[in-house]
Amino acid sequence: MYKYDEYDQQMVDARVAEFSDQVRRRLAGEITEDQFKPLRLMNGLYLQLHAYMLRVAVPYGTMSSKQLRMLGHIARTYDRNYGHFTTRQNIQFNWPKLRDIPKILELLASVEMHAIQTSGNCIRNITTDQFAGAAADEILDPRPVAEILRQWSSLHPEFLYLPRKFKIAMSGATHDRAAIRFHDIGLQATTNAEGEIGWEVWVGGGLGRTPIIGKLINPHVPHEHLLAYLESILRVYNRYGRRDNKYKARIKILVHEEGIDNIRAQVEEEFSHVKGGVLTLPQDELDRIGAYFAAPAFERLNSSAIDVAREKIINPSYGRWLDNNLNAHQRPGYVSVTVSLKPIGGAPGDATSEQMEAIADLAERYSFDELRVSHEQNLVLPHVKIADLPAIYEKLVEIGFAEGNAGLITDMIACPGLDFCALANARSIPIAQELSRKFAAPERQKQIGDLKIKISGCINACGHHHVGHIGILGVEKKGTELYQITVGGDATEQASIGDILGHGFVAEDVPDAIERLVDTYIARRESEAEPFIAAFRRLGKEPFKEALYGNG
Amino acid sequence: MATVSAVASSPLHSAHKPDPLRQLGIMSLNGMFDEMDGVAVLKQAKEILPDDLAIVSSFGADSAVLLHMVAQVDVALPVYFLETGKHFAETLTYVETLKQHLGLTNIITLVPDPKDLARFDPNGDLWENDPDSCCHIRKTEPLDAAMEGYGGWVTGRKRYQTKERGVLPHFELTSDDRIKVNPLAYFSDVEVNAYKLKHGLPEHPLFAKGYKSIGCAPCTTIVAEGEDPRAGRWRGLNKKECGIHFDFNGAIAKPMAAEDLTLFKDGAFIADPFRVWTEGDDPASVRYTHIPVTVFLANRDAVLANPHPVGLLVSPGDRVEDVEKDLGRFASVAINFPGFTDGRGYSSARMIVERYGYKGEVRAVGDVLADQIPLMRRCGIEAFVVKHEPTRKALEAGALATVDVFYQPVGKTEVPLGTRPFLRRAV
Ligand code: SF4
Ligand code: SF4
Repeated sequence: MYKYDEYDQQMVDARVAEFSDQVRRRLAGEITEDQFKPLRLMNGLYLQLHAYMLRVAVPYGTMSSKQLRMLGHIARTYDRNYGHFTTRQNIQFNWPKLRDIPKILELLASVEMHAIQTSGNCIRNITTDQFAGAAADEILDPRPVAEILRQWSSLHPEFLYLPRKFKIAMSGATHDRAAIRFHDIGLQATTNAEGEIGWEVWVGGGLGRTPIIGKLINPHVPHEHLLAYLESILRVYNRYGRRDNKYKARIKILVHEEGIDNIRAQVEEEFSHVKGGVLTLPQDELDRIGAYFAAPAFERLNSSAIDVAREKIINPSYGRWLDNNLNAHQRPGYVSVTVSLKPIGGAPGDATSEQMEAIADLAERYSFDELRVSHEQNLVLPHVKIADLPAIYEKLVEIGFAEGNAGLITDMIACPGLDFCALANARSIPIAQELSRKFAAPERQKQIGDLKIKISGCINACGHHHVGHIGILGVEKKGTELYQITVGGDATEQASIGDILGHGFVAEDVPDAIERLVDTYIARRESEAEPFIAAFRRLGKEPFKEALYGNG
Repeated sequence: MATVSAVASSPLHSAHKPDPLRQLGIMSLNGMFDEMDGVAVLKQAKEILPDDLAIVSSFGADSAVLLHMVAQVDVALPVYFLETGKHFAETLTYVETLKQHLGLTNIITLVPDPKDLARFDPNGDLWENDPDSCCHIRKTEPLDAAMEGYGGWVTGRKRYQTKERGVLPHFELTSDDRIKVNPLAYFSDVEVNAYKLKHGLPEHPLFAKGYKSIGCAPCTTIVAEGEDPRAGRWRGLNKKECGIHFDFNGAIAKPMAAEDLTLFKDGAFIADPFRVWTEGDDPASVRYTHIPVTVFLANRDAVLANPHPVGLLVSPGDRVEDVEKDLGRFASVAINFPGFTDGRGYSSARMIVERYGYKGEVRAVGDVLADQIPLMRRCGIEAFVVKHEPTRKALEAGALATVDVFYQPVGKTEVPLGTRPFLRRAV
C-alpha cells in the first residue's frame, strides 16, 4: 500500500490547518455561507437534509485496517455510530457537527486520509477495480498510476474551479469492474501492437440527467505521457466546458456538442505543447511508487480447491457465500473475498463502528492488512488464504455481514435518497430494503443469478440506475414519489444505458413490478447459463415492457 | 440660494453617503456659472468652504492659468506643491517665478518622509527600477497626509482632455462627501493658451524646449509634435501612472483614502495606476486602461498605434491564443474572474505566463478572494485588485491560510527538490 512520505503528510496537514481556519471564519461569521460553500465542498463537506455530511476519500478504494478502524472511531465519536460507503469508493458520515470537522480531519490525517476534493467542481477521488493487485485477469495493477494521478490532481491550482465535478476511473484488468465508460475520463490498461502497456483513454462518459457512454479519445497513451495527456484534456475542458447551465457543464456535454473528433483535435493541439515537458513520468518514478504496491509476502501454496458442494450440504449459507463472494486471485491458494454490506433488509453500504472494527481485524489477520471498497458499496478482503475462509466467514456471521449475495439480485446499489439527500425526489433505501426482503430466499436468488439492481433517488444518478440491469429512479410527479424503471443497463466493457419502458410506479407497486420482470426473464431465458442482461439483449424490450405494463 | 446655503452650513466631514440635499446643492451650483467663468466658480467655492479649500499644483506647463485665477480670488489660498526631490531645476525656478508674478502668499511645499527615502530609496535610483514605489513615497504619501484635512479642493482638469471628462462639471461631490472644484472644466487647449497670452503669464522654461507635460526630471522626455503630451512621461519604462491621484494639470484627481489603494502587489497595497475599461472608451487613445481582448481584436491596429501605456483584460472565454503575438505591447495583463467559481482564468494565466513567457505584470481582477489567491499565485498571477474587506485584511496581515506544499510545478513555482522528481520543472 502507498505510504505517505513526509511531503504528502505535510500537504494534508497544511490542508487541515487551512480548512480549520476556514471553518473558524465561518463560525465567526467572517465569511458568508455563499463564500464558505465552495471551500467546504472542496473539503468534502456537504449541507444535507438534516445536517452536514462529510465525505472521506478512500484513494482508489484501498485502505489499511488502521484506516478502517479510524473510520469506525470517527463514526462512534462524532456521528451516530455508522458510516455509509458510496459508489465512489468513499465513505460518508451523515451527522457530524461543523465544529467537530477540524478534529475529524485531523484524525483522518493521522492515518493518511483526507476529504480533499471529494466534492466541489474539481477532480474527484480516482476510483479503480476493487480487486486491483489481486485479480487473476489483471494486465497491470492500476494503483501506482492511480496514486500518481492522485498526487497530480490534488490541489492542482488550475483545476479546482472546473465547470463541474470531474471523475476519473481506471481499470487494469480485462473485465471492467470500475465502470470506466461512465466516467468523465476512463482509463483502461491495454497492450499495443508493440507489446507496450499503456492506457486507452475514454472521455465524456457519465450518468445523471444525460447518461452517455464515454468515447475513445486515444487508444494508447504510454505511462510517461499520461499526465500530460490528462492535463491537456482538463485544460480544454476547463476553458471550453459550458458554465452557463450546470446541467450541461460536464465534459460529456462538451464532447457531445462538439463531437469527439473536434475535442480530440483540441486535446492533441494542447498535448503538443505539454507533451515531453515537466509532466513526463519517468519509469523509475513509476517503479518507485510501484514498489509501495508490491505484492505482499504471499505463501507458496498449492492451488487448493474447496469442495463447495460438500460445504453446501453441511452449511448451505456458507456454501452460498463461497459460491458468490469469492473472486479468483493471481496466486494459487488465495482468493479475494467480498464482504457484502447488503444484509437482507439492510441499508446498502452502511456499516456500524463495530462492524468496521471487526472487518479491520479480519483484514489485519487474514489479508495482509489490506482492504478495498468497491463501487458496488461492499468491502473486499483482497488477499485471503483459502484455508482461512471458514474463520472469516464465522466472524462475518457474528457481525451480520455474511450474506452470500455478491453479484446477486439483493446486492443492490442504492444512493442515500430522500432519507438523507437534499436533492432527492424519492426514497431509495426503503425500496432497496423492500426488494431485498422480497427476494431474500436463497434458492430464489440462485435461480435468478447475476442481476444488478441499481437505485437512485433522483436524476443525479448517484445510485447508477442507468447502468443497472434493472434500474430504479425516483421521480416526483405532481407531489407524489414515483419510480421509473429501466431495463438493460450495463456498466462493464459492454456498456449500455437502460431503456425506460413506460410510466413510473408508486413505491408499493415497485417490488411486484420487479418480480414480473424477473419472472419474464426466467420464463424466456435459454438456459440457466444465460444471465438477465444477455437475455434482455437477445429478446429486446418488448417482453419486459409487456411484463411491466401488460400488452394493452 | 437657500439650497446653496444649506450646503455651506452643513459639516463637511460628517456624512458618508452623499445626501440628496447636498447633491441638489451641487446641481444648482453648476447651473449658476457661465462656461468660462472660472474665477467666479473659485469665488463661490471659497465662500462655501471657508478655510477648507486647497489647491494642488504641479507647477507644470499648464499650471499658470489656474494659479492666476486663484490669485484673483485670494492670494492666501493654500497652494500645495509636491517637491519630490526629482524635479528639473527649471521647475523649482518656475515655482518662484509664478509666486512672485502672481503674488501668492501661501505656497506650501510637500516633501517626502526622509525615513521613507532612507529606507526605500537610499541611492535615489528607485525611479529606475520601481517607479510605482518611487511615486508612492515621493508623491502619494505626502499628498495624502496634506489633503486629509480639507473639505474640498481645486483641480485644473478640463473637459477636452479625455472622453471621460467630456461631462466634467464645475462642482462635483465625491463619494466621501467632499467637493471637487473644476474652474477650468470648459477650457479647451486653445483657450488655455489664449488665456496665458492675454494675461501675459510666464511660461515654464522647458515648455519651449518641447516638454509639454512636465513631471520629475528622470521620468519626463520631450514629446514629438502631434504626440500625446503625456507620452513623454516614463517613456520606455514599463511604468504605470504615478500615484495618479495627483493629476499633472495641477489637481487631485481623486481623494486619497486607504480604500483607494486597491492593488496588492509585492506585499503591499498600492495605488492602482490603471483604470477600468468603460463603454465608449476609445481604444486608440485610452491610457492606463485594460482593454478587453474582444475590443483589442476588433481594433488591433488602433491599439497598437496608441502611444500610451495600456493593459489587456482577459476574460473567461477569451482565447489567449489570439493575442499571443501582441502580448509584449501591454504593460499589464488583467485576468478577469467575474465570479470566484469560474476557473477559466487559471488556464489563461498559465498559458500567458508559462507558454507565452509574458514578463509584464499579471493581475487578477473581479471576484478576488483570500482563498483563491494562493491558487492564482501558483498560476503566475502576482498582483491582485482586491475589494473584499476580509481579504484585504488577510493580505495586509500576511495571514492567508494556504497550503504551501504542493505536487504540481505550475506557474513559476517549483516543487521542492527531493520530493517529487517527476513533477519537478526541467531546468
Ligand atoms: S441520486 Fe439524487 S437522491 Fe440519490 S444521492 Fe444522488 S443526488 Fe441524492
Ligand atoms: S515621477 Fe519619477 S522620479 Fe518622480 S516620483 Fe515618480 S517615479 Fe519618482
